[in-house]
Amino acid sequence: MRVGIVHLSVAAIFLFIAAGVFNLQIVQAKKFRDLSDNNCIRLLPQAGSRGRIFDRQGNLIVGNQLSYDAMILPQDRPQIDKTLSAISLALGVDFASLKDRFRKGYVASFVPVTLEKNINFKKAVALGELKSDYANIIIQPRPVRYYPYGNLACHVIGYLNEIDHWRLTKLEDYGYKTKDIVGFGGVEEKYDYYLRQEDGAQSIQVDHRGRFICTLGFRPPVDGKDIRLTLDIRLQRIAEEALGERKGSIIMMDPDTGEILVMASHPAFEPALFINKPAQALSGLSESALVNRAISSAYPPASVFKLVLASAALETGKINLSTSFFCSGSMRIGNREYKCWDVHHAEDLRAAIAHSCDIFFYRTALLLGPQVLHDYAVKFYLSKPTGFDLPYEASGFVPDPLWKKIARFQKWFDGDTANFAIGQGDLLVTPLQMARMVAVFANGGNLVTPYIVKNIAGKDLSGYAEGHLKIAVKKNIINYVRQDLRGVVSEPTGTANVLAGLPVSVAGKTGTAEAGNNKTHGWFVGFFPFNSPKFVICVFLENNGSGHAAATAARQVIEGMIKENLI
Amino acid sequence: MRNSTFLILFIAVLIVIIGILSIYSSNYQKEGEFWQSIYQRQILWAVLGLALFFIMSNFNYRRLWDFTYILYGSVIFLLFLVFVLGAVRLGAQRWLRVAWFNFQPSEVAKLMIVIFMAKYFSNKSIDDVSLPVERFGILRVLLIPLIFVAIPTLLIVEQPDLGSGILVMTIFVIILFLAGVKLRYFILLFIMAAGSAPVFWHFLKDYQKERLTVFLNPNIDPLGAGYTVIQSKIAIGSGGFFGKGWLLGTQSQLHFLPESHTDFIFATFAEEWGFTGSALLLLLYYLLIRQGISIAQKTSDSFAKLLAFGISFMLGIQVCINIAMNLGFAPVVGIPLPLMSYGGSSIFVTFISLGILANIAKERAVF
Repeated sequence: MRVGIVHLSVAAIFLFIAAGVFNLQIVQAKKFRDLSDNNCIRLLPQAGSRGRIFDRQGNLIVGNQLSYDAMILPQDRPQIDKTLSAISLALGVDFASLKDRFRKGYVASFVPVTLEKNINFKKAVALGELKSDYANIIIQPRPVRYYPYGNLACHVIGYLNEIDHWRLTKLEDYGYKTKDIVGFGGVEEKYDYYLRQEDGAQSIQVDHRGRFICTLGFRPPVDGKDIRLTLDIRLQRIAEEALGERKGSIIMMDPDTGEILVMASHPAFEPALFINKPAQALSGLSESALVNRAISSAYPPASVFKLVLASAALETGKINLSTSFFCSGSMRIGNREYKCWDVHHAEDLRAAIAHSCDIFFYRTALLLGPQVLHDYAVKFYLSKPTGFDLPYEASGFVPDPLWKKIARFQKWFDGDTANFAIGQGDLLVTPLQMARMVAVFANGGNLVTPYIVKNIAGKDLSGYAEGHLKIAVKKNIINYVRQDLRGVVSEPTGTANVLAGLPVSVAGKTGTAEAGNNKTHGWFVGFFPFNSPKFVICVFLENNGSGHAAATAARQVIEGMIKENLI
Repeated sequence: MRNSTFLILFIAVLIVIIGILSIYSSNYQKEGEFWQSIYQRQILWAVLGLALFFIMSNFNYRRLWDFTYILYGSVIFLLFLVFVLGAVRLGAQRWLRVAWFNFQPSEVAKLMIVIFMAKYFSNKSIDDVSLPVERFGILRVLLIPLIFVAIPTLLIVEQPDLGSGILVMTIFVIILFLAGVKLRYFILLFIMAAGSAPVFWHFLKDYQKERLTVFLNPNIDPLGAGYTVIQSKIAIGSGGFFGKGWLLGTQSQLHFLPESHTDFIFATFAEEWGFTGSALLLLLYYLLIRQGISIAQKTSDSFAKLLAFGISFMLGIQVCINIAMNLGFAPVVGIPLPLMSYGGSSIFVTFISLGILANIAKERAVF
């Protein structure tokens, strides 16, 4: 009897134990499986480096340098506070904010939490010494952007920042995630997909003291592809110095290929500031400093547009090379007096271009009519983006009578035609469009597609460029106008005569546009050397410039080039 | 009854093999020759243990009756030696170093108590089936055996080896119960135990007290005493239904689990072999104990009966306490899992016990 009781008790205990094992291994299996995985698996990110950017000579414009992130592994929960307070001493960050960052950054017990990004080398060493006492501190080296030329060509390069909501919605399908660092503006944005590195990770197994046992999985980081630009950083420096503190932009382009050699825009920004404190970097910027004025803003072209008008008039036969009009300083169109900026007396086309006589072109435009003007502007691909390979290119605008009727419910007046003729009114162009337009005269009739990326990871992109379009204007017409552009510089009374004394023969056209509030924009577009042009230049000065000032800036650039033997 | 001898041997060897595989696995990742050779030493203990099994199964258990007091005296002497040496060396010590072998007298003490109690409550003549308890008063039924058991128990607890001490007392109570001691004496024993509990508590070492309190809530000290229990539960639980596979248990392989080859060998095994393995192992142990009980039930000799019951339940309780400890159902008190945990003393004593069982089965078959 008693044997039965004891036997039954032992059997009952066995059953109870079996139930306990069942509970742990079947009922709670998942929970304990997770706990076991957390116990021994750690994930170490392995940062790849973003592709570098070089200029056409192979000078490094944007590189990478190592920076250190302070991270903590959330394992050993009871130790965390002690570790955090030690870190706060080493970094000089107060404990409460560290604790807060830890709480917000926590994902899972085996994923390290970043406490402070981009700590300097000294602090990294200080933290490294703590590591012997607090095994869960991780100092993660990470490549960050480094700009050897400071803010030179900053608009071409762009900057890096955490992805914003708008970009994320666009790019999610391409594997971008929140908190990704992506390019904003310039090459960094346009070619982000190529520049972008793929971060790898190593999942390792550790023992109870966090010591390395073995690697479970490893995805090697993939570095981004290097990009080589057509930009010449030496020319870029000369151009930015010529621009100085003035608002505006300078573009230089190879007239035959469309390779952009210089693209300067001012005001500029420091791309390096975005590495550490993006919010501060943004708030410290002067007005619209992030805008690349060479491509993203459109302005009235002023007298520069006269090249289009001259081509149109010659080709349609409304005037010929000997046609001349008399400039008395002003003329009446409709019920308004339209002025020339000077009194030029009798002028033929060559003189009118050299002196930029408004009266001549008013009269010519009235002969042509606004629709023809519009059509020729479109033949020069105004009002369309050039197809340039940087983002946020403005398209500009070319008005016509139908548009005015539809958009403004107004009749087109002759006064509008006169304004159109001298590139004022509703006509808007980007400096890049002007550079492309003048390239047509430089290369004898080809509309090139400007581009700035020469190759990606050694693969040449010129084969992928859209190539040249033959402009729909007769070649001899282009050549007539081309000859006249030389006069602008070479004639003593030419508006760009300031460029005459140079050892290279320059041709071009100035422009001074009314910008409202008694301010003017200054333009100079041109090319040199005249006989076999290698460079197209477009100088644009916003709000406080004149054609003369722009031509002077161009002279400064060319002088700089001569000094550095770059022509 | 060659059948039951064979069955006992078969099950025991099966469990020992499982144990050696688990010991190999638990030290597989550890560096150093010592850890790598542990499973080889266990194989050696097992082989020697088997030899002891065959010796004991051919050694007439009746002669144990004659040697009981000599056995009792020598075990007390050994325990006392441990106590003295421990005091001299200023540290806890459970073993005696005999040549190249660390011998644990407390393991032998468990078996010795079973033999002693079996002798005390049985008759010299095999034919006399009457229960001696009927003739005894309270002094001879309760107090004298209590004193006899209390002496080694105190020496064991003082080593300190709380687990073995508790086990010895449990065996004592069970054999009292099986010997037919009146229930009112148990009530008396219980009152005595309850009355002396605070005194015992006072004598316990701090870490022993801590283990008992941590048992109630392992989470109060996840890095100290509760750590083992938490890691052990994680190891067992993460095994799931089929286990992680031999040599693939992360808990034991990566040293998260302390004592993974001794007291927590079950957790190591359960992690790698899962519920299927654990259930099979429990079944094997149960069949082994069942076999012992059935041998006890078939013998008519009252000494053999009590001895066989005592041995079976001694094994059963060790298995239960150890696995319960692994599961977090019992405090971590340091009781090895018979036949599986690493350690020569435990293996030897278990095989000797099984050998006695086999001999009892054999002797009965002679009649």
